[in-house]
Amino acid sequence: MQTEVKFSSKRFLLSLLLCACSVILLQNNDLSSNASFTFNAVCIAAGLAVCFLFFLPSLALKKKTDSDVLSLARRYTPKLRIPLAVFYALYFVYTALYFLLPYIDMFHTKYFPEVTPCLITFIMLLGCAYAACKGVNVISRFGIFLFLFALLTNILMFGGSLSELDFSHYGFELQGDFNSFIQNTLYFVTPSFIAAIFACCSGVTKNFRFRQPVFTLIFTGLKYTAIVFFVWFALGDYAGRQTYPAFVLSRVAHFGPFAGIESFYLALATMSVFMIVALFLCCISRGACTDGDRKTVLIFTVIIFALYVTATYINSVKEILVNPVLLILLTFVAAVMLPAAYIFVGRKSNATGN
Amino acid sequence: MNYSINEIKADLQYRFGDSADLTVRVFTLKSALKIQAAVITMEGLVDKEQLSQSVLNPLLTFDYGTRDAAAVSEVLFSSVMASSDVIKLNSADEIVTYITSGFAVLMADGAEELYAVGVQGYSFRGVSEPESEVVQRGSREGFTEPLRVNMSLIRRRMKTPDLKFEQMTVGSDSKTQLMLCYLQSQVSPDLLGKLKNRLNACDLETVLASGYLSDYLEDNGSGSLFSGVGISERPDTVCGKLTEGRIAVIVDGTPAVMIVPHLFVEEFQGVDDYSNRTYYAAFIRLMKYLSFFVSVFLPGLYVALAQFHPEYFPTWLLINTSESLAQTPFPVTIEVLAITVVYEIMKEAGLRIPKSLGHAVSIVGALVIGDSAVNAGIISASTLMVVATAAICGYVTSPLYPPIMMLRLMFIVVGGFTGLWGITLATAVVLIGMCAKTSLGVPYLSSLSPFSLRRMRDVFIRAGWKRLSKHTIRVQKFPETEVQDANRG
Repeated sequence: MQTEVKFSSKRFLLSLLLCACSVILLQNNDLSSNASFTFNAVCIAAGLAVCFLFFLPSLALKKKTDSDVLSLARRYTPKLRIPLAVFYALYFVYTALYFLLPYIDMFHTKYFPEVTPCLITFIMLLGCAYAACKGVNVISRFGIFLFLFALLTNILMFGGSLSELDFSHYGFELQGDFNSFIQNTLYFVTPSFIAAIFACCSGVTKNFRFRQPVFTLIFTGLKYTAIVFFVWFALGDYAGRQTYPAFVLSRVAHFGPFAGIESFYLALATMSVFMIVALFLCCISRGACTDGDRKTVLIFTVIIFALYVTATYINSVKEILVNPVLLILLTFVAAVMLPAAYIFVGRKSNATGN
Repeated sequence: MNYSINEIKADLQYRFGDSADLTVRVFTLKSALKIQAAVITMEGLVDKEQLSQSVLNPLLTFDYGTRDAAAVSEVLFSSVMASSDVIKLNSADEIVTYITSGFAVLMADGAEELYAVGVQGYSFRGVSEPESEVVQRGSREGFTEPLRVNMSLIRRRMKTPDLKFEQMTVGSDSKTQLMLCYLQSQVSPDLLGKLKNRLNACDLETVLASGYLSDYLEDNGSGSLFSGVGISERPDTVCGKLTEGRIAVIVDGTPAVMIVPHLFVEEFQGVDDYSNRTYYAAFIRLMKYLSFFVSVFLPGLYVALAQFHPEYFPTWLLINTSESLAQTPFPVTIEVLAITVVYEIMKEAGLRIPKSLGHAVSIVGALVIGDSAVNAGIISASTLMVVATAAICGYVTSPLYPPIMMLRLMFIVVGGFTGLWGITLATAVVLIGMCAKTSLGVPYLSSLSPFSLRRMRDVFIRAGWKRLSKHTIRVQKFPETEVQDANRG
């Protein structure tokens, strides 16, 4: 296991791109129905612009110190290390559940109703824990294979939906109100959680360039726009009545008699969620101890599972866990405030010569 | 220290427990001082004719005059011995190592020196084409058991002083000799040091084959399904790997030479790829990759689709498959598992039974297991076809057969219990394991992940020789390799 080897920052951002794209894969009618496609495209641009702002402090930190928040906390503020690690651990546990809950729900309701959701979650978390024990570098290597698979799935999904496109009922006019703008933009700010992962793990990467996260967000935006475009023009009104429209899009896609692209879609969603949760566990492990620490990973896997079980039985817990506003607020602290604070701490320490 | 024949003889007889093959022949030399000399050998390991011509005859016919024991010993080395392979031993402890390797140890009574003369003459299998790596165009020579013969096979192909053999001994009881073989200008000293440390850490008492050592050369122990140690019986393959900065470990008594570091993509490269036309080599490579995936995934996917997602089958296939499966008494998972296991048993039996009985077993297997079981309604024809296709595809990349077999079984079980979802998750876990694996510090999936476009010229396709020969990519230059490259920069 190569936990000490620094790896390419480009590859790390490719993994983050895949994580960000999973948000739109698990879309559960979160977008306002009053908004047109063009309006949604504007919301995507606005949402990802906010994501970029979320990214800025950790980018600056990486550029200035070639390190991440957790490493700097260890170096400059050893007393604050534990509270910081606890905050990040709670944040990543929350975010892991934010993605696990809709994924398992979609899987259970749409694809495999016979199976117990808790069992699926348990197996999934075991796999994630195994991956997290191997470290960020290994997960990012896995990202290359996932990227190829995502490319194939997207080609199949979009290529197979081409024959279903219908522009006669819906045009490209900009239609939507302020509330829809806020609601949709908030949804498209969700991928900003990748900025928090970057803030925690960027220390293990090398050859960082400022344009890499910019391209990551641009590609994320393109993917979102493509999904919204196909959902809008290929599914039309039908999409509005369906939960998980991206899943329905994959079900509708076909090449002549060859159908069943939803299995590719579900495989992609499974692998994306697998990678996200594994990366979260890695970040927790990095905060607590070292990259790939088994004990920490196992403890937090159990915590995530316990919270998942609680959320499935107590609805109020589930509502808190899937609240996008709370996620964005926590992300703001994890990806903006804390890295910004460490830029300041780093500058002060350099000035005093510590 | 002056050595006494009687003491050495007594010591050897004690160590070997009066073993019948230990031979200590004592002579009185033609000398005024009647000095005695002894030739110590192990019976069956020396060529008697060579022994008498290059050791005994010169020893007994030479007139030593009035020389004392020390002078006799000196003259033995400088003038008497007719063999080119004479080694001066550092201590009496080395006698055992040399005589058990087919040398004759020569000593004069009371002298300070002991000499080992190379007169090996044991019988061994000749150089022949390795059955496991048959090629269409290329050398028909394969490694054989004696270490020295294998060394000569490599040296004949690499006529450069850059090629170095370094001897080591492993096994506290077997004292098995092995050679580290590498090109000095290409190998990373860091890599070499790492390898030597691991071999020195080997605490085995007996090493009878190269496979005994492969666990010691693996980075993560033997837990992984895939091996980070390459095996080849072909000298041309080994020479090719040496030029890329790899190290070959030749173990005495086994024709399988180990090569480290070893990468996943190398399992799909064959000697013929480099002899055939580029387009055909590329086609064969792609077929190998396809076969690997079919062999690993096909039975698992079949089980998952038949059990959980029959809607994915085209209608005509769905009708045929369901009819066929409806006539059998077992669930499809059990059926596929059972046929796979029966096939493995038949394969093992086929490997071990005498060749003359092989045809009979094949007929029984094909008729009884194949035709009769389908006719009797015990298994379905579609299941049999799926398992047979996967089994055949598994042999296209035969070095990967053990992991293929294990993965195939795992995917059948996972597909049978959790459908396509389970297969997806299991694939992710296996990929993570492969991404984490390293071979002497080099990532096992190098070229693919960490991805390297430059190295892709010899992965899925094989670029033309003009392009390949422009720049040899040494293994320590692969991205994220932990070993340092001290040579050439």
